[in-house]
Order: sequence, then C-alpha cells, then structure tokens
Amino acid sequence: MNTTVTLKKGLFGRLNLRQKTILIICLTSLLLFVIVISSLVLGGESLPTNFGFKNLAPSLEHPFGTDWMGRDMFIRTLEGLGLSIIIGAIASTFSTILAMILGLLSSAGKKTDSFVSWLVDLFLSIPHLLLIILISIGLGGGAFGVIVGVALTHWTSLTRVVRAEIKQLKTQEYVHVSGNLGKSRWWIATKHIFPHLIPQILLGTILMFPHAILHEASVTFLGFGLSPHEPAIGIILSESMKYLSAGYWWLAFFPGLALLIVVLLFDMIGDNLGRLMDPKSAHE
Amino acid sequence: MIVFAAALSFSSTSRAADELVVSVNSHTGEPETGFDPLLGWGCGHVNFEPLIQSTLFKSADNGSIINDLATNYSVSSDRLTWTVNIRDDVKFTDGEKLTAKDVAFTFNTAVGSNSELDMSNLENATAVNDTTVKFKLKKPQSSFIWRLRYVGIVPEHAYNKETYGQNPMGSGPYKLVQWDKGQQAIFELNENYYGEKPYFKKITMLFLDKDAAVVAAKAGKVDISEIDITHVNQTIDRYNLISLSASRAQGVSFPIQYDTGKKSLSGDPIGNNVTADIAIRKALNTGINRKAIVEEVLDGKGDVEYTGVDQRDFGNSEAKINDSNVEGAKKILEEAGWKDSDSDGIREKNGTKAEFNLYYSSADQTRQALSTAVSEQAKELGIKINLVGADWDTIYANQYSSAVLYAYSSVDPFNLYLQYHSKEADDTYKNPGLYNNSVVDGYLEAALRSVDQNQATKYWKLAAYDGNTGYGPAGDATWLWLVTTDYLYMVDETLDIGTPSKNSGADILGNIHEWKRTD
Repeated sequence: MNTTVTLKKGLFGRLNLRQKTILIICLTSLLLFVIVISSLVLGGESLPTNFGFKNLAPSLEHPFGTDWMGRDMFIRTLEGLGLSIIIGAIASTFSTILAMILGLLSSAGKKTDSFVSWLVDLFLSIPHLLLIILISIGLGGGAFGVIVGVALTHWTSLTRVVRAEIKQLKTQEYVHVSGNLGKSRWWIATKHIFPHLIPQILLGTILMFPHAILHEASVTFLGFGLSPHEPAIGIILSESMKYLSAGYWWLAFFPGLALLIVVLLFDMIGDNLGRLMDPKSAHE
Repeated sequence: MIVFAAALSFSSTSRAADELVVSVNSHTGEPETGFDPLLGWGCGHVNFEPLIQSTLFKSADNGSIINDLATNYSVSSDRLTWTVNIRDDVKFTDGEKLTAKDVAFTFNTAVGSNSELDMSNLENATAVNDTTVKFKLKKPQSSFIWRLRYVGIVPEHAYNKETYGQNPMGSGPYKLVQWDKGQQAIFELNENYYGEKPYFKKITMLFLDKDAAVVAAKAGKVDISEIDITHVNQTIDRYNLISLSASRAQGVSFPIQYDTGKKSLSGDPIGNNVTADIAIRKALNTGINRKAIVEEVLDGKGDVEYTGVDQRDFGNSEAKINDSNVEGAKKILEEAGWKDSDSDGIREKNGTKAEFNLYYSSADQTRQALSTAVSEQAKELGIKINLVGADWDTIYANQYSSAVLYAYSSVDPFNLYLQYHSKEADDTYKNPGLYNNSVVDGYLEAALRSVDQNQATKYWKLAAYDGNTGYGPAGDATWLWLVTTDYLYMVDETLDIGTPSKNSGADILGNIHEWKRTD
C-alpha cells in the first residue's frame, strides 16, 4: 500500500482525491470555455477562403490542414465545436427546465402524473434523430431549428429521474413529519424536496451535453439544418467523406477526434462532479 | 487475404476491346422515368444523345445542325409551318419501318407530356405521306429547329407511356438489353442501324455519383468517368483528364423588382430593394474579378462569362463590360447614393443596407464555392451577401426575392426568350429575376419572328445590348454571370473519343460513332 502511494508522487501526487477531482473539473471546464470563447471571437469574421492553399496536409502553419476551399481546418473545427457546445448548452438548459416543470407536475397529482408518463413514453417511442429532423425541418431549418429539435427531444430521461426522485422523497419520514406538523406543501417542496433535486438536475444537465452535441453533429452530418458553408462539425465530417478516396485523411481525422475529446470532457466533468456531490463517494 | 483476392479479381475482369464501360450520365443521373424521350431521356432539362432512339437532326463538329433522320426541311412564308422530309430506309429494332407517322406521333405526344420538354408552341404535327411531316406552330419560332434536334423518335405501334421507359425501342445506334435500377444500364449495338455504325458493340452505363466515379476509375473499372472539379488535381494511372467546354454558364440571378409586398402565383414574396437598384447590379458586374474565380475555384477548367451565352453564336460581345475594376464599382455605388456612413463595412442608402441573400444548391460544391467567392469579393465593395445553401424547393420559393446561383447551358436561343422576356411569377426557374423591359421584349419577339437564322441571331444579340439597353451587363445587368464550367472526364488511355462537337461537353456520347479502342 505504501509503495503505491510513494510512487504516485508526481504533479498530482500530493493532492488528495477530492482536490484532484476538483482540479480535473476546473481544467476540463476551462478547456471547453476556451473553445467556446475562441470560436465566438473567430466567428465574428466569417472564415476566409484561400483557394491558393487547397487541401494542404497538416503543417505547423495549418495544424489540422486545409479544406477544399483553402480554409484552415483548425479554425473551422474550433468554430464547429463552439457551435456544437452552444447548441448543446441551449438545448440542455431548455431540456432541464422542461424536465423540472414536468417532474414537479407529475408530483402534483395522479392525473398529471399519468399525463407526464404518457408524454415521456410518447417521446421515447419515436427515435431521437427522426424527431430532431422532423422538428428542425418543420421550423424551417437553420441553427434555430436544430436547437429546438435537440431541446425538445432530450428532456425525457431527466424527467423520469426527477419524477422518480420526487416520488421517493415524498415517502421519506421527515417529509411526513413536516406535513403532520402543519407545514405547507410549498414549504415542503422548497425546503425538503428541491434541495435534494439540485445534484440530480445539475448532473443531468451536464450529462445531457454529450448527447445533444452528438445529435447536433449527426443531424448536420445528414445535411439537415445548417447550410454547407457554415462550420458545423457534422457538415465538416460529411464533407470529408468526399475526399477519403483522394487520401485527405486530415479532413476527417482531426475534427472527428476533436468531437470525441469534447464529448469525453463533458463525460469526465459529469462523472467527477457526481463523485463530489454524491454523499457516499464525496469523502473517499 | 479476402482483400487480396478481391483486388486480384478486379484486375482480372478485363473487358473485351469492343466493350465500353462509361459513367458519364452523372449530370442528370439515372433517368427516373426510364429511357423515354417524351419523359426527359435525351431532351428536356438537358440535351444529350439518346443512343436508343434516333433524332431528326444531329450536330456537326462545329456545333451546327445537320441531318440525321431528316433529309431536308423548309419553313413556310408565314413561318408557321415547318416541313421536314425524312429518310425512307430506317427501321425500328423490331423490324417495323420508321415513317413520318411515327415522327408526328412522337411530337404530338410530346405536346401533352408533362416533362421539361417544352413543346407549348407546337399546334400539331401531321404526316403528309410516309416521308414528310408538317409541324404547325401557334406563333413563329425561328429557333424551332432546336426543338426538333434532340427529341428521340418513338414507334407509334409500340409506345405506351407507362411501360416504354422500361422497355424502350427505337432506331438509334444501340438498343437497351438490361437495366438494373440504381446500378447500370447495358446497351448493345443495333446491327441494322442506318447510320455510321459505332466501333463499340456493347456499352455499360454505370450510374455512379461523382466520388464513386473517381474510385471506379482508380480501380480501372470504367473507360470514362465524369468527375467533379474537386477531384481535378488527382492523377490516376493510365487515365487522362480531359476537359470539354459546354458553354455551361454559372451566374447569380438578381430580383429586378422592388419589394412592394406582391406575391407570386404560389404566394412567394417578390422583390428585393437592394438588387432592384441597377447600381448594385452594375457595381457587382464591374467589381467582381471573374478571372480570379476561374483560376481559383475552377482550377482554370472553364472561362469567364459575362452574358450567359458568351460562347454561342447568338452571344453579343458588345454586351460585356470590363470587370475586376474595384474602384469603378465603388464609384458607381457612391454616385447612386450607396455610402458607408456608419463605417461597419456595409454601404447604406436611405436606411437600407446593401445586403441580400444568395441561395445556392447545397448539393453542389462548385456552386457553393462560386457563391462563397462572390460574397467574399462583394464584401470589398461594401456589399454584404449572406449565403444560404438549400434544396431546390426552397430556392424556387425564394428566387423572386433573393439572388440565386443558377447554371444555364442551352444551345437553343429560345431559352433567351424564356429567360429575359417579361412573364408572370409562375415559380419556374425561367426569368427568376422577373426582368421586364419592353425594348428587350421587342427584340426577343422579333428574333422569334425572323425569317432565317442570321436575322434571328441579329435580334438575339440586340436583346443583350443595343447600345442603350439590354439584358447584358452593359445594359440592365440583370445577372451577375461569372464563369462557364467545363465538363471533366477521366478517360482510359486506350480510349479514343474522336473529335467531340463544339461546346457539347455535356453530350459526351454525341459522337459515339467516332469512339475507338487503341492499343
């Protein structure tokens, strides 16, 4: 036991698990934040083409290479990821709000509860992607259509969690005691139930990000939603398919890898945050 | 191991010398309605050699019209009746004789067909005897010969609109023997063909998209593949890249009307207050550097384009202007009152920003690149062009209120009439800007009424620019024509495709009788 501890004396060796977890959360959040900020800064000026530098392999000047219109793939990927994260943020915030409202609604009574369950089942019975495509086309396409499409399809699982959590909390003894002591329903909801929901909601929102981002990427990959000149990660990937036969591997490799990393980062934040918030693992 | 075996079998499936495998129909794709000329095979939206059927006329090497089935033709003095005499020795592949009745039947059926084949001006066609057909027109149309050029003649006794496309039969150089939908069509030589018999006994036409066409060439599976401009820098062993001009003009249409709240017949908005100002259109025509676009976007595989028909006989070089003149363009804008008073890089006039949407087909990378290049160049002039990539339904719904990147490649001057003569907003892609100029209308009508082609050509040219007005950039600058794009083919080095006729790069099989295999 002692040997492993001494061996781990690297950069993080002196930190305990809790500090390490916080560090990981901070670093990953910072990285994602930097991606969004830089894409917003770069996005102000539309990505210039330079037809003199078409399809260049990765180099120091263009770390991700250039595409068929001579645009720098690094900047294009960054912009695409920024857009993905923003769409993910809006969609998961919206989904969370929806999930909270419906979760609370389900605790209001038997009829509303069965209505919410029915609504969840209804939305779960249609494949996500299909629903997103339908909604975004119905709203006339564009980034707006994709955001609404993703937002309207990702609330179901969180609603289920919130609903189950409330059900469980309502059977707790202290809730019954408060009720017997004459506390109002509102008091119980805000003082007893809501505080317990916060970790669930926070985690649910963060873990919804990867789903939302991947769905945004698949919808744009399939050519719905955004125009092909806009820098969405799905568009970049579907465009790169055309050049695989030509051997331009960097067009697919780096953006795909970057998408994977971003999704993994969100997953890491979610996991570590969960570890901190869960009373069982928080003091390990 | 399996991969190795597959690679081996690729190389071992060598074709007989007189068998030809082509992937050249990508510009229209697989004919959805089959090989029926009356539903678009060979004529209509685009024109090309129908192989199975024969046509009344064909093109000489210089692009002029020469006889095929026809022996001669004449036009009556009121220019309403066209009389065509045809050969006496032609048989369909089922042995029945091809007579004037079949020709009349073909065109009478075409009038009612719901395809892109525009026969609206044909009253009727009648067979006078076995070898003479009379075409009666509603209005004079000097260019009617082009309407006769590409329509394949179908047999009256074996034509059924529902089934003919699947089982076509004609008198052309080839007959269809097999059609695997979604994959390929196989043609075999018509041994009784009346004309010069082609060298190739069998043609397999693959329906590949352009990326797959490149892969097929790399695998050595095709003799000729049409490829996309994005693959132009690739070299493939034992294949040569050829580029053929086709006068395929690409340009930006401008809404000419002001936005007064009017709607088209199907309720789409009409008018754009920015592009309706001639100064904006003139400035773009003057300021854009077309030469740079040809070099950059097209890798030089094309040419600059000013009027949409620069390379045709009926194109008018007087209608061109000098471009890539940024200072001149800025001066035009300043004089017309478009000034950047809030210094955000975009000019304004009476509170209207010099900003408009440009729609392009999101399925076409060349159009995307052209649109991007135009919007970047326009930014330097202080004009903001917002790009919208969309499907065609969306584009047609917005064509009267936004700019659209279109491509036109017709040899028939009648298309000038359709494109620039005033019309109602009927949601077809003809005259998308709703251009309306009575002087130009007059020239276009005069061209159609002309007695002969020379006189007609004179009027077609005047419609572009008469020294004062016209549809060309020197006149009303109704379009921002940019480039003509060549058609690109990867050709197996053992294949000799003869001399393709002038400006017919899209109709690559048009001179199939000249094609040979060399060793």
